[in-house]
Amino acid sequence: MVKYSYFPGCNLKTNAKGYEDSAVIVSKKLDAELVEMPKWNCCGTVHTMATDNLMKRIAPVRNLARAKKHVDMLENSPKEVVTLCSMCNSTLKIVNDEVKIDPSKLETINYILSEHDETYDGSMEVKHYLQILRDVVGFDKIRKKVSRSLDGFKVFAYYGCMLLHPEHAAIDDPEQPSIMEELVEALGAEAILTPYFKTCCGSYHTLDQPELVSHQVKKIVDGAKAAGANAIMVACPLCGYNLDKTQKDLEKQGKLQGPLPVFYFTQLMAIAIGEPLEINHFENNFVDPHKLLKELGIEG
Amino acid sequence: MSEVVEIGKEEREFIEEIEKVSGVNIYSCYQCGKCSAGCPFSFKMDKTVNQIIHYIQLGLKDKAMNANTMWVCASCLTCSVRCPRDVDVAAIMEALREITLRKNPEKVRISEIPKDVREKMPNIALVGNFRKTTG
Repeated sequence: MVKYSYFPGCNLKTNAKGYEDSAVIVSKKLDAELVEMPKWNCCGTVHTMATDNLMKRIAPVRNLARAKKHVDMLENSPKEVVTLCSMCNSTLKIVNDEVKIDPSKLETINYILSEHDETYDGSMEVKHYLQILRDVVGFDKIRKKVSRSLDGFKVFAYYGCMLLHPEHAAIDDPEQPSIMEELVEALGAEAILTPYFKTCCGSYHTLDQPELVSHQVKKIVDGAKAAGANAIMVACPLCGYNLDKTQKDLEKQGKLQGPLPVFYFTQLMAIAIGEPLEINHFENNFVDPHKLLKELGIEG
Repeated sequence: MSEVVEIGKEEREFIEEIEKVSGVNIYSCYQCGKCSAGCPFSFKMDKTVNQIIHYIQLGLKDKAMNANTMWVCASCLTCSVRCPRDVDVAAIMEALREITLRKNPEKVRISEIPKDVREKMPNIALVGNFRKTTG
């Protein structure tokens, strides 16, 4: 059993609880266990692109330092910190690359960390759990673990931006990725392709410009429905929230009929591997997934 | 109608500030417009992304800073990934925001967000937004 130092990030503990719980249970079944790192803090969510602001880079580096310590304590653990949230993933990955390239930045940040006897040596790698599934576990092994095939699921895999951007932090080809579709097919479901697989949902503008998010979500969901999807799969709690909540709002406003349930990829995996449905915390979803689960005979 | 733009001290300082904060050579851009063509939010912008870059190249600070472009940008980085000249276009938008927020740190006023919105909104949206709209 390989154990990975797992960085949850804030949302996996709140509105995306079902993402974390399903991921942890699935990770044990696949011998690639996610073990939460101690004393993590918010990574800052979005990476700063300003070159002259080290302050916003302290939080990610502190997490990398603590993950390194965690890896040293775990047995059989590669020097990797693994995330589920794609925004955490890109923020940690980008800053990790920056301090590796520019040791003077690392030195200054370490000076701040040393106030609490912490230091980062630049030795960690940041991985998204999807990368572990593809590169370490392998989709063949996942296919063999499937006990409840997702036959009938027509899944539109929505990548969002941060799994694929920027290029050096991408988990797959930024313009023609296939990692999520390969997973969908390994679970026995049909992968639905649309041009909107990485059209930004509006991200954090859900707070200050919700109309922008509504416009994007309508376009993304209409595209998925036209291509025949009956479910959406995501890897980011903000994409998840925006797609799920906004569809419900659009439905209430009469602008969208038949919203599609939104699943985290680990929730679909947990269903296919035969885990109890309760671990997915579908009570947190806005668009009810039970309807589809009943239609497809997953739920009695 | 053609317009003659003189790049004086003030214009040069603005260009240098953008280049320093973004780390981008603004004259790498040759105005192909691929960034604006692929930007999922161009339809909401007063001026498209490449138009803003053109303003910066000419030192037209007010025109670049007064457009809503930088605030509509959601930092999805599609522009930066696709630029044929490897210009980090999103970093230029970030530089415009940073320069603004360093003087006026509250584009979004946290105290004015209704309590129910604040409580129901996922932390990822709150923190992400405040990082881009407050100084």
